Amino acid sequence: MRIRFAALILATVFFSGLACDAAAEQSLIVYTSMKESLIGRLRDGFAKKHSDIKMDYQSAGAGKLMAKIAAEGESGKILADVLWTSEVPDFYDMKQKGKLEKYVSPVTGDSAFLNPFADYDGHFAAARLGTLGIAYNTRFIKTAPKAWQDLFGAAYKNAFGIANPALSGTAYMSVALLGKQFGWEFFEKLAANKARIGKGSGQVIDDTAAGELVASLAVDYIANDKISKGATMALAYPPEMLIAPSPVAIIKGTPNLDAAQKFVDYLLSREAQTIIAEEGTLPVRNDVAIPQKFGLPKPDEALKRSIKINYLEMMAQKEATVKKFVDILQKK
Amino acid sequence: MSALVKKNSLGMAHVILGLSIAVLVIVVAVPVLLIFLNAFWAEGKFNITDVIAVLREPETYQALLNSLIIASGTTLGSTAVGTFFAWLVTRTDLPFKKFMRGMFLVPFMLPSFIGALAWKMLLSPRAGYINRFFMDAFGLDGPIFNIYSYLGIVAVEVMYLFPFVFIQVCGALERMDPTLEESARISGAGLFTITRKITIPLVLPSILSGALLIMLYSMAHFGTVAVLGIENGIYNIPTLIYERIHQSAGSFASIRTGTVLASVLVVSAAFIIWLQGKVLGRGRYQIIAGKSFRPVELKLRALRWPLLGFCLLYIGFTIVLPTAVIFLVGGLKTYGLPFAPENLSLVNYRFILFEYQVTKDAILNSVTLGLAAAFITMFAGVMISYVIVKMRVRGKGILEFLGMLPFSVPGSVIALGVILAWSGKYGVNLYNTVWIILVAYIARYMAFSLKANSAALEQVHDSLMEAARACGASMWQTLRDIVLPLVRPGMLAAFFLIFLPSLRELTVSIMLYAPTTRTIGVAIYTLNEDGETVVSAALAGIALLLIITGQTIINRVSAKYQG
Repeated sequence: MRIRFAALILATVFFSGLACDAAAEQSLIVYTSMKESLIGRLRDGFAKKHSDIKMDYQSAGAGKLMAKIAAEGESGKILADVLWTSEVPDFYDMKQKGKLEKYVSPVTGDSAFLNPFADYDGHFAAARLGTLGIAYNTRFIKTAPKAWQDLFGAAYKNAFGIANPALSGTAYMSVALLGKQFGWEFFEKLAANKARIGKGSGQVIDDTAAGELVASLAVDYIANDKISKGATMALAYPPEMLIAPSPVAIIKGTPNLDAAQKFVDYLLSREAQTIIAEEGTLPVRNDVAIPQKFGLPKPDEALKRSIKINYLEMMAQKEATVKKFVDILQKK
Repeated sequence: MSALVKKNSLGMAHVILGLSIAVLVIVVAVPVLLIFLNAFWAEGKFNITDVIAVLREPETYQALLNSLIIASGTTLGSTAVGTFFAWLVTRTDLPFKKFMRGMFLVPFMLPSFIGALAWKMLLSPRAGYINRFFMDAFGLDGPIFNIYSYLGIVAVEVMYLFPFVFIQVCGALERMDPTLEESARISGAGLFTITRKITIPLVLPSILSGALLIMLYSMAHFGTVAVLGIENGIYNIPTLIYERIHQSAGSFASIRTGTVLASVLVVSAAFIIWLQGKVLGRGRYQIIAGKSFRPVELKLRALRWPLLGFCLLYIGFTIVLPTAVIFLVGGLKTYGLPFAPENLSLVNYRFILFEYQVTKDAILNSVTLGLAAAFITMFAGVMISYVIVKMRVRGKGILEFLGMLPFSVPGSVIALGVILAWSGKYGVNLYNTVWIILVAYIARYMAFSLKANSAALEQVHDSLMEAARACGASMWQTLRDIVLPLVRPGMLAAFFLIFLPSLRELTVSIMLYAPTTRTIGVAIYTLNEDGETVVSAALAGIALLLIITGQTIINRVSAKYQG
């Protein structure tokens, strides 16, 4: 009898423990490919401003998040209220399929606000201008690379890495941009120098810091986070800049529309953009100071230097581009 | 349950039988059935051509081949290592045998994917600490060993799986009647002949049964291959299923491929189980009796101390070194810095325990999931084993068959099966909640519970219950006052056999996790994948501490029960 009773009590405790996730206040779930160092600070900032909204996020690669959303859509309930990744084509695709809620944030009217999307209509807005540079391990590479073509040199042989564009949105963007500017020949030369495909965009940088790679195509704030923690690494930007805008969008049919709109407003505000700049990535506002140590140009200048691309075309070619890239680098 | 007391025992027997069948059908049989259905049934009709087409794709074919290569390599390696060490600690005069025997069980505690992480840090081709040391010290051009290879994967799996064979063989060698060997010796046979003709044939079933267990485990193992293989394009079945489903947005084609691959896993697992039953079922091995004679020990003579040194070196190399690396890397500010005092701190540990929501959630999830799964599975296991072992009801045969299922269904198959069964297609949608992981855990660990509980129940002699019934006790009273107290050690064993492994579970939860339902294993794996090597190492360190603490408590508790 005693055993049964104790078990009953314990079971009740566990079940209530498992079930007590649902809170009374407004809640908001953001799916994002931003890493903890960035999204964590933004969450804290947002929580301070809107203490009545309980914001939660899932941070994972863009590909995985889209898979999750698709699976959730299939089962009838999408958990995400807001999507913020760096895979621009995904946003065009979702907009076409009517899966995004239109919202023109009042912040986009500010004169300091920059808009990299010519066809902006409120379905999604850039919340960050991610840049990609060459992160190199200073134990092995003593002179900073000045041009993309430096990567064909002997110093980078067998030890330059690019994240898998099938897994990482920024990696796909950078492959598309480099391909547009320099042609497939660029990747053939990289392949001839035995460049490697890594896993996620974070892992190639960690591998660079560890010396498994001497250099990698690196997302700015992830590399800067590790440099600030003492990694023997530096980040270099060749003249043709790779800029991957990270759009933020509200999922259609979200029950937390108000909270979602507040989050978008916050993300585009000067306050949040200052956090973004302090983490070593480009803000979407010209009125935010970027710390000197990152070597980043001002956002409008960077946009001028950047390689331009038609996102819709890029979206149509994604599968073919990824396959061709993988085939070239793995020499199939 | 108490409402049932008043009913007559026949009614109650049928209720228990029905309940047992229902549990196994819902938790295990339906998911497996759905996998076969999805694999072989397309657009309303039986379709084998698609299945063959999927299997003939170069990638799936390669993954099948890889699973086989890795599993065979691991099985051979673990069998050799496990048998050798088992022989060493039971049949020779190795110093500190008892202590060494305990040490060889420690690898069981170390989850193999954490081991894989550690070996990645030690032996990745350019940055691995060991490779770097040799390249710096001797000016070598390349690494001395590349862990991102078949050999690397097999070596790591052997390190953490060989105890399966070790335990089995130790038991067999100890229980073996030494008079058999002695009579051979008296009849003039040499050591070689005795070993070949008496010892090996007698322990062979135990060796084989341990080996098959490892084969089963390794074929369906996700973690090690995911950490060490994917880098170089080496996929096995579970990693390919995971990759496909995660990358193609859960599309029909990817689920289809997944179910076909999963079917292959189920069929091979069933074959292995059948083979194991066959090997163990042979009557002539019954000669290993329960009597405890002291077997003759082989004098190692001059080799005594060197062999002890070798054992200690082996433990140091496979257990101490990887564990130390995990804790040290977990203390680094960022990956790649040297282990100097100024680079080491407890910041990462504080971060994951008190600041980082993802890891805090993960720890809480794993602990609650583990406790809940252990409780439910323990009670379900007692009920089902009771029917199988003790009751004489019609329809028991179905239950016996169903009871075999959990033993042969690998983790990734269960994960895929519960996705098919519980994502809303059949009325209940648990996808993206913690409940789907709980259901999967119950299915995955039911086998452990059945095993522990039926073993305990078999020891309870029928006469005890008959005596109670003869004195006028109801069936319920008999259960409560006689059976349950006697099988309590078995239940307790089942509880911990489930709770501890579920703390470090990866294969199932990696397929089922959602924003707030990461488990410890998932958190370690995704952090590593995201390039947060130091944070993931710190969490792995915490996980190891949790597991070691849990194991110590179990050892205390079970010692108390036996003493």
